[in-house]
Amino acid sequence: MSALNTESSFGWVTRAIHWAMALGVIAMLGLGSYIARMEVGMSNLWLFGLHKSIGVVLLALLILRLIWHLASPPPRSLPADTPWKDSAARWVHRSFYVLLIAVPLSGWVGSGASGLDVVIFERFTLPPLAPTSEAWESSAFAVHFVLTKLLALCVVLHVAGALTRRDGTLRRMVRG
Amino acid sequence: MFRAILALVLILAAPAVAAPLVYTLDAEDSRVGFKVPFGPDQITGAMPVRSAEITLDFERAARSKVSVSLDVARARANFPFATQAMTGPKVLDAANHPTITFVATEIIAIQGVGAKARMAGDITIRGVTRPVVLDAEVFRPQGSAEGERGRLSVYMTGAVARSDFGATGWSDLVGDEVTLDILVRIDLAE
Ligand code: HEM
Ligand code: HEM
Repeated sequence: MSALNTESSFGWVTRAIHWAMALGVIAMLGLGSYIARMEVGMSNLWLFGLHKSIGVVLLALLILRLIWHLASPPPRSLPADTPWKDSAARWVHRSFYVLLIAVPLSGWVGSGASGLDVVIFERFTLPPLAPTSEAWESSAFAVHFVLTKLLALCVVLHVAGALTRRDGTLRRMVRG
Repeated sequence: MFRAILALVLILAAPAVAAPLVYTLDAEDSRVGFKVPFGPDQITGAMPVRSAEITLDFERAARSKVSVSLDVARARANFPFATQAMTGPKVLDAANHPTITFVATEIIAIQGVGAKARMAGDITIRGVTRPVVLDAEVFRPQGSAEGERGRLSVYMTGAVARSDFGATGWSDLVGDEVTLDILVRIDLAE
C-alpha cells in the first residue's frame, strides 16, 4: 500500500484525507444547519464549539491536502463517457477546494466579528480575523450561508457522479 | 435564603430619630444579581457595586437619598461566553460605559409593612437614562436588637428591558427582560 499517488492510483494519504474530509464535510453541513436553527441554551451551546473545532480541522486538512498534492500529484480522472461529465467533475473538484477554504474562513470571520472569543476544543482561542462589528458579522455569516449551500450542491453532484460511474473511479478512491 | 439569616426590622415603625442617617457602602458584601432568559435556561450573574451614597430617613422615607454606581467591567455571568458577551460592545459596552448608575428620585414607604419601600429612580446603562422602580426591603443582622441601625442590608428587586438601553446584542438568543436582585450592605457612618 503506497503512500504516494501514482499516475493511475490514489495513495493512502490522499485517500485518508479525502474520506476524512468527506465524512467531516457531510457531518458539518448537518451540524451547521442544526445549530443555526436550534433553540440555544446551556445544554447545547457546546455544539457551536464543536462546529468551529471540526471546521478548523477541515481547513487544516485542506491545506495539508494541497501541500501533499504538490509533493505527490493525484492521478488524472478517468475519462467519462461524455465530455460534459469530465468538465463537470473538474469544476466540482475545483469548487471543493475554493469552498473548503472560503466556508471555514467565513465562519471564522463571522464568529470573531461577534466580539466573542473563537474557542476550539474548549481551550484554544483563535485570533479574530475581523474587527468586532455587526456589519462584518452579518455579512460573513451571509457568505457562510450561501457558500455552504453551494458546497452541499457540489457534494450532491460529486456523489452522484461517483456512484453512477462504472469504470472503477470509486474503487480507485476506496482501495487505491 | 438570606431572609433566614436576617430578621426583618420594623424600621419605619421605630421611634423617631431626628436627622437622616448617613451610611457607607460595604462594597465587598454587596452585589447586583441578575437573571435573563437564555433559551430554556437562564443566564445568571452578578455585578459589583463600586460606590454608593445612602442617606436614610426612617421617619420620612421620602427624605432618604440613594445613589449607586456599579462596576460593569467586573460583572460576571455563570459562564465565560456570557460574561464576554455581556460586557462587550453589543450589550453593556464596558469599555465605553464602565459604570451603571442609579439615582433614586422618589422613595415611598409601603404603609403597614414595616421595612419595605418602593423606590423610583433613574438608571443609566450604556449612557442611556430611563426610569426604573425597585422594591426595597431593609434588614438588620440576625440577632441584633430591634431598632438597631448600625449595619443594614438592603434587598432590592426590579427589572429592566435591555432594548430600552440599546443593549440588544444576541437578542435572538437571550431575552430582553433582565431581572435584578440587589443586595447592598451598609454601615452607619461614624
Ligand atoms: C462530501 C465531501 C467530499 C469532498 C469535499 C470531496 C472532495 C473530493 C475532491 C476534491 C476530489 C478530487 C481528487 C482530489 O483532489 O483529491 C475527490 C475525488 C473523489 N471523490 Fe470525493 N469528496 C467528498 C465526498 C465523496 C463521497 C461521499 C464519495 C463517494 C460516494 C466520493 C468519491 C470520490 C471519488 C470516487 C473521487 C475520485 C475522482 C477521480 O478519480 O477523479 N467523494 N473528492
Ligand atoms: C468546512 C467547514 C464548515 C462547514 C461545512 C460549515 C457549515 C455550516 C452550515 C451548513 C451552517 C448553517 C448555515 C445556515 O443554514 O444558516 C453553519 C453555520 C455556522 N457556522 Fe459553519 N461550517 C464550517 C466551518 C465553520 C467554522 C470554521 C466556523 C467558526 C470558526 C463556523 C461557524 C459557524 C457558525 C457560528 C454558524 C451559525 C450561524 C448562525 O447561527 O446563523 N463554521 N455552518
